[in-house]
Amino acid sequence: MLIEQILVSTLVLTTPILLAAMGGLVNRQAGIVNIGLEAKMLAGAFVAVIVSSATQSWLLACLAAALTGAGIGWVFSLTITRARANMIVAGLGLNVLVAGAIGFILAWVFSSSGTLRQPDVVLLPHILPQAIDRLPVIGPALADLDPLTLLSWATVLALPFLLANTRAGLWIRATGNAPQVIRALGLDGPTIQDASTAFAGAFAGLAGAHLALASLGLFNEGLTAGRGFIALAAFYFGRDRPFQTAMACLLFGFLDASQIRLQTTGFPPKLIGMIPYLMVLLALIFTSIRAKRKTMI
Amino acid sequence: MKGAALQNSIGLALPLAVSFVISGLVLLGIGENPFAVFSLMAGEAFGNALRLAATLSAATPLLFTATATAICFRSGVFNVGVEGAFLVGGLGAVFLGFTLPASLGLALVPICLAFAALLGAIWLYLPGALLARYEVDEVVSTLMLNFIAAAITGYLVNGPLLSPVSGNNVTPLIHEAAFLPRLMPPSTLHAGFLIGLICVAAYGLWCVRTPSGFEGALVGLNKRFSRAVGISVPRMIILVMVLSGILAGLGGAVHGLGQMHRFSDGFSPGYGFTGMAVALLGRNTPVGIALGAVLFGALASAGTTIQLFSDIPLDLVNIIQGTVMIFAVVEIGHILHRRKTGGKTGGGQYAD
Repeated sequence: MLIEQILVSTLVLTTPILLAAMGGLVNRQAGIVNIGLEAKMLAGAFVAVIVSSATQSWLLACLAAALTGAGIGWVFSLTITRARANMIVAGLGLNVLVAGAIGFILAWVFSSSGTLRQPDVVLLPHILPQAIDRLPVIGPALADLDPLTLLSWATVLALPFLLANTRAGLWIRATGNAPQVIRALGLDGPTIQDASTAFAGAFAGLAGAHLALASLGLFNEGLTAGRGFIALAAFYFGRDRPFQTAMACLLFGFLDASQIRLQTTGFPPKLIGMIPYLMVLLALIFTSIRAKRKTMI
Repeated sequence: MKGAALQNSIGLALPLAVSFVISGLVLLGIGENPFAVFSLMAGEAFGNALRLAATLSAATPLLFTATATAICFRSGVFNVGVEGAFLVGGLGAVFLGFTLPASLGLALVPICLAFAALLGAIWLYLPGALLARYEVDEVVSTLMLNFIAAAITGYLVNGPLLSPVSGNNVTPLIHEAAFLPRLMPPSTLHAGFLIGLICVAAYGLWCVRTPSGFEGALVGLNKRFSRAVGISVPRMIILVMVLSGILAGLGGAVHGLGQMHRFSDGFSPGYGFTGMAVALLGRNTPVGIALGAVLFGALASAGTTIQLFSDIPLDLVNIIQGTVMIFAVVEIGHILHRRKTGGKTGGGQYAD
């Protein structure tokens, strides 16, 4: 019983991190470290709630969230690739700017501070017939499966192939790892980078839509709660490889899920929340020391 | 020198101009007259002595976090971990402020400040040493350390250091002997502002009057040249990180002892990141930092009052701050001339 519950909440809590991490991973393969994922998730969640309420369609809500994220990502990318803004500072600035803009719209248009409740928000549907929850152990998790969770795991399976074997995938990896090759081929590196940032933005927007529409059905300023940075931690930890990154996301989703449960036993939840960041720090130290040793020999 | 001064003032003017245009458009969009709002804000921030004091009070933590950021950026070390060191130093100072006996009297404040500086120094020594020895990417390590600092301090104020008498998420009040004196009651402007100014001035003197300050600038300009003339780049990296930690820790201590008188969950509403915007806006110069800190202090203090009087959302301040951060790092020269600088995008161009 307990295992089933943890499995359900782990799967649900992993999805937003996983979506954002997959986008951020592609972005980093193209040479851009996306610190602004948090902003695009927040914007995606905000737009998803409004569109879902206005159109009564979860699909349109997700598309709108993805488009919003992609649009923000594209403009953000232009400041980096064309105006040569430092990507870290610009990313942190974007997080402040978007949070401010959403807060402003919330206060001005919806006269509310922090939370947006809209009538008749349509949540993400469950795609499998509900009778499936009678299956042992994985039943409840499968019954809860929503389209975005399915998409996130499909992306994990498809990305290694897309990155390794398609033209676009090779362009993206070459832009980040061997820009001189891109120049020699006469391709436009900055445009490829812009496209990858828009892609990351779209996935971060979907991640936001999942946060808002998986079960809550409302928007809150603290909804993302640093998940954009957890996603960053995940693809740093997985060293930009889709499968390893997904495993890190699953682990962070599990920690997130058990955090809620361990709270009742008196274990400090704040310290569990620290684990992803600590893991990345340790992994970073470990890999750097190993790389340094190799170059010394 | 003249060219550099001109470039600095363009650097200060461009992000400000862009952010005022953007926020002006936002205000036009909601049917407000931007000039009326901005002059109202200026009046609220600088109108009389008390309002000026409120502005300077809001600027105080930024003096520290901006200097702490600038000292690293100037040497090409991309430290984004000032926020974490600020939290750690703040909690450390407050902790001593209520646990040490009040009978220590006048000695209490210096002890708290020194302890906070020490904690901050240790906190940023770690990523500094990792960068210097093993080339561990300092952006990610300091970013992660921010979250770790927030988690540890958050755990402590909700657990072991929780005040037994008052509500949630706060430590007990510090002894009155540990309070920094108020300069202009009833405003909250306190002696920490003066300490902040001294730190900014000391940073300025260090930059132009000491050999290590000069070497720090050289490392920021050209690492290979620095190595060729015999400067130890790893030592320089560790030095600026430790100095940054000391400044950030002091900032947290001053905020705790002068303003909050305790540590709480929302101790820093992102002072470390606002400090980064200030340092970028001020192009790492002491005068620029002081002006930038006062400007952002004014935005913060005026933002709260215009929300009260004209129901313009306070979030306008965040819009301005975010735009300043983005446009402070945009290379306007590159858009104008499309000159080829060779280096990869991101990294390097933040240090002037």
